[in-house]
Amino acid sequence: MLNKPIYINGAAAISIQEPLNETVIYNPLNYSQVHVRCIDPVFKEHLNPIAARRMSLIIKRAIITARYAVKMAEIEKPDAIITGTGLGCVQDTEKFLEAMIRNKEKFLQPAFFIQSTHNTISSQIAIDLKCKAYNNTYIHRGVSFENALIDALLQLNKPKIDSALVTGNDEMTPAYFKLLQRLNYWKNSVDSSLNIVDSENSIGSFAGEGSVSLVLSKNKIKNSFATINDIKLHYNPNGIDEKFIVDFLLKNGLNTDDVSLFITGANGDFNNDLVYKKLDNLFDNNRIGHYKNICGEFYTAPAFGLYAAAICLKNNTVPKTMMLSNNNLNNINNILFYNHFQNRDHSLILLSKCIN
Amino acid sequence: MLDEIVVSGMGSISGIGNNLDETLQSCLQMKCAIKELQHIKSIHKLPCAEVSYTDAEMKAILNIADSETATRTALMGMIATQEALNNAKITYDSKYRIAFLNGTTVGGMEKSEMYYFDFLENDKFNHYIEAHDCGACTEKIADYFGCFSYVGTPSTACSSAANAIMLGAELIRNGEVDIVVAGGSECITKFHLNGFNSLMILDKEICRPFDETRAGLNLGEGAAYIVIESSKLAEKRKIKPLCKLSGYGNACDAYHQTASSPDGDGAVIAMTNALETSGIEPKDIDYINAHGTGTPNNDESEGKAIARVFLEKIPYISSTKSITGHTTSAAGGVESVISILSLNNRFVPGNYNFKTQMSCLPFKPVSEVITNVDLKHVLSNSFGFGGNNSSLVFSKI
Repeated sequence: MLNKPIYINGAAAISIQEPLNETVIYNPLNYSQVHVRCIDPVFKEHLNPIAARRMSLIIKRAIITARYAVKMAEIEKPDAIITGTGLGCVQDTEKFLEAMIRNKEKFLQPAFFIQSTHNTISSQIAIDLKCKAYNNTYIHRGVSFENALIDALLQLNKPKIDSALVTGNDEMTPAYFKLLQRLNYWKNSVDSSLNIVDSENSIGSFAGEGSVSLVLSKNKIKNSFATINDIKLHYNPNGIDEKFIVDFLLKNGLNTDDVSLFITGANGDFNNDLVYKKLDNLFDNNRIGHYKNICGEFYTAPAFGLYAAAICLKNNTVPKTMMLSNNNLNNINNILFYNHFQNRDHSLILLSKCIN
Repeated sequence: MLDEIVVSGMGSISGIGNNLDETLQSCLQMKCAIKELQHIKSIHKLPCAEVSYTDAEMKAILNIADSETATRTALMGMIATQEALNNAKITYDSKYRIAFLNGTTVGGMEKSEMYYFDFLENDKFNHYIEAHDCGACTEKIADYFGCFSYVGTPSTACSSAANAIMLGAELIRNGEVDIVVAGGSECITKFHLNGFNSLMILDKEICRPFDETRAGLNLGEGAAYIVIESSKLAEKRKIKPLCKLSGYGNACDAYHQTASSPDGDGAVIAMTNALETSGIEPKDIDYINAHGTGTPNNDESEGKAIARVFLEKIPYISSTKSITGHTTSAAGGVESVISILSLNNRFVPGNYNFKTQMSCLPFKPVSEVITNVDLKHVLSNSFGFGGNNSSLVFSKI
């Protein structure tokens, strides 16, 4: 799809791991709860306190990671800002909804409504960066981030667009956690979140949340993390087969042997992980990785996964916590990133090491 | 040279009509659909333009069992998608890679606002929990047809559908899919009715876009989609296209979450980009189907932006929200359909209920329908909360 590879030049995350720290994937925290909230940076160190008072939590996180990634990418402002979010500013949505129901439509303050629309995140980032460029938002369940990413890459195929900020943002409020609990999204208990993928064959995962910002660019810089070479989104409520993956690699002049690491969205949920296990023949265990054990499950968790993949490529090493084999993996050239949501929405992303 | 993108079909349901024919007739007769609320129980006496069908009637038309979980947004989406697919002569077993891009913001909120405390406290309405998110709504519509291999849900509030159309054109130009059904769907919910009301931007009377006395918008609801593909594919499929999607622009006002900048900077960039990608000059635009919500802020900001871009020759301008109400996320779809109808039926829709020109603007909108007029290029504006401004240009072939 891409005219030429696109560089990831900036990457920042606030997650259930130490915030704004690229090394977190190498020594992640282990949790024994099913609902883990982000470890936030000290907001007053990053944001003007007066402005911050009006911002909801998810906006604060988004603005901080966006600024970090933009600075890291050595640009002033991007030529496009695109956000993927499964639920948008759900905390504000809940507050407005609850007030409306409890007060029977009376005495409503507009503040929560104003912040409730999903596109608040991208537009608040734009206001903060004073950036009038292309601006868009996608909400599509477990592939919300990939929806945003493909748009960013489409924009970067245009001659006038040199860089794009693409973000994944979701918060897991206690109420939404409870709602999803009714739908069996979560396990009853978790002993060790880092081992959740290979621990047990039960239904559900553990909940996380996060804000991830990536700056993509046509131009390489000294600190470029990796390149994105291709992306494919595919909708099929009946699932995919091996051919889907092989064809994608072939289109990029690769075969399965060229893939150093196959990263999946395995999260410890029996049904979710079964979809990945059916592809076992393509890659042996010591080339299969995952990330949801580090960031938890939420609609835009793949944004954290891509962030982790980019860090692995930059450092040329994958930590054992990300490996199915539980062994470190070194010398990685190509990473194939596959995510599915309910075996309906499927996304493939091909990343490579930067060539000097 | 970019591939030429053509519109090969469309479908629409809104307060002014349940299909294309009714929509056209209402536009030609300037029939306003804004009246007292019927389907939603609210304490507020605010006029709105609702789709005339009940949910049960739509289920019957679609042959969906009454017991099946489907939100109003999804049902309207199915009706408009069905018309669009038929109009573009696409069969459900099509061999082409077809994308469904559905702009929406409230998703399944109409059910969530009924059952929210049940969601939290018991298992009675669990089937509506998963229908809450916007992507679920898109997939519900897509699954009814079963012909889509790509689905996506752009959500930029009131410009969602316009952004869906822009993404669709890019997906085709980059070879990701062959055909795109793009637009949006949104039913009126108590949630956004109260939200807009708390912002004090709803008019208790019938709205008056671009009028000096305007006092806010009226909500509408609906779903509308256009079918786009490359001109080469349309030729191969032996489809006579309705028009070209010749250009589009998206920019962010980056000014305020719910207000537009005083001079409409974001709108100027969006319109300018749309003209630039079309390869035409401002003077070539014959008609602007404005965002024109009827709020004091939007119409002033958009009006000034139009005056800045089209200083040489102000085209015909009208806001069809004066008859459809503001269909929010669906607006870009509903108004694309109206723009294309006006191109192909040689008329300019009127701006209903207009009396007094705004003192800050050098133009007034078209207040009566103009017929027998040749239009070559029509610009459709959709501006959303957060300054998400998008403009589309449709051109006669």
